[in-house]
Amino acid sequence: MALAVLLGGIMAWAGANGRLASAPEQILSAVLSPFQKGASAVSGGVGGLLDKYARIDSIIAENEALKQENWELQDKLVEYDRLKAENDAYKERDRLEDDSPEYTYMSAFVIGRDPLEQFGGFTIDLGTLDGVQQGDVVVSDQGYLVGRVLEAGPASSKVMTILQPGSYVACVVSRTRDTGNLNGSADYAADGRCVLENLSRDTLAQVGDAIITTGLGGEFPADIRVGTIEEILPEESGRSSIAVIEPGADVNNVKHVFVITDFETAYGQQAEQAQSASSAPAGE
Amino acid sequence: MTSRRKRNLILLAKWACYFLILLLAATLQSLPGFLSLFGVRPLFILPVCLAVAIYEGEYPGALLAVAGGFLWDWTANRVSGLMALGLMVICFAAAVAVELYLRVNTVNFILVNAACCLLVTSMDFLFYYLMPGYPGATQRYLTQVLPMVLYTAALSPLAMMAVRRVAGRFVPEQ
Repeated sequence: MALAVLLGGIMAWAGANGRLASAPEQILSAVLSPFQKGASAVSGGVGGLLDKYARIDSIIAENEALKQENWELQDKLVEYDRLKAENDAYKERDRLEDDSPEYTYMSAFVIGRDPLEQFGGFTIDLGTLDGVQQGDVVVSDQGYLVGRVLEAGPASSKVMTILQPGSYVACVVSRTRDTGNLNGSADYAADGRCVLENLSRDTLAQVGDAIITTGLGGEFPADIRVGTIEEILPEESGRSSIAVIEPGADVNNVKHVFVITDFETAYGQQAEQAQSASSAPAGE
Repeated sequence: MTSRRKRNLILLAKWACYFLILLLAATLQSLPGFLSLFGVRPLFILPVCLAVAIYEGEYPGALLAVAGGFLWDWTANRVSGLMALGLMVICFAAAVAVELYLRVNTVNFILVNAACCLLVTSMDFLFYYLMPGYPGATQRYLTQVLPMVLYTAALSPLAMMAVRRVAGRFVPEQ
């Protein structure tokens, strides 16, 4: 009877305080809580371990499937990178062809560089089977002159860069129309620079002026961008000036280029016109 | 008969492995920008040829050096046969020198490599830079050729390890 009254009192007290758990229960709960958590963790861990042990085959299979999926995703990523590089190259080619529709561009990747090569020469992945021939002009993605094909094999070609001494290119200072010969220089090649020789002594060219090809001689198309003037120095004899040129293309590290396989120079057009005029009948 | 056939197969597998290592070396050597340090890149074909010459003897080593030289000539579009001839002579001489005067260990291999690399790069420098009369030869030699020799020699134990592993793996039964 006394116990029933006590329990009734506890219930009445809990109800009056708006709490469903009594004070002793709360105390007990606070004391037992850490042990319950620990026990729960152990129980869960054991249960999880047993569960894992029971499902080990399916977990291994799932792991293998995920590995396979990972490989496939890696392959797709590599394929994506390749497609992206190709897409970028084609975009650049379209832009160059829009700028100079009279030229035919072929996309080429640099596949080899000899460590002993002193002047940035490299091998590209296009050869005679692709239509590349000795003497074809090579430009960078942005259309800056890199060099020309020195030797064309069936599937690859060696490119001589504008850093090579003796690689003469007829050029002009875009702003002042001062002409000169672009040539490689052993003094500047290691820094990726070349020189514009035979500038007149009283040239008005300045640092920062753009250099472009003239097309004279017929070996290079006209108006191909080369780079900018970095420094103007007097030539040793004092009769002319030399401009140190910073090429627009990073010749020593370029990885992708375009080969201009077909172009018509003003020089070539004039020769053709002269030939057709001389071969035309006199009465016409 | 069976034993002889097995021996031939082992030898075939060994030389196939050497050739694969050589192909890998040629690929890495011509790879644009691979391991480039301040514009200097190491040579890989020469250490592999030297390692094979040292482990297999002067004649087989010289033959592989010819193959390596041609690979170098072709991948770099150099004059065909020039490097093949150079590597053949150098590897033959190095193998004989090691057999007569040196013990085969890593330090000696690095030293032999440095000496041979110095010879190859100096000959190339002589023919392709000094003789055409380009200016600044001394500076070029000090800043490009010598660092390349040191770089190549420093990485040469990798070739030695690979070749030693193949030589130890494919031993014909006596």
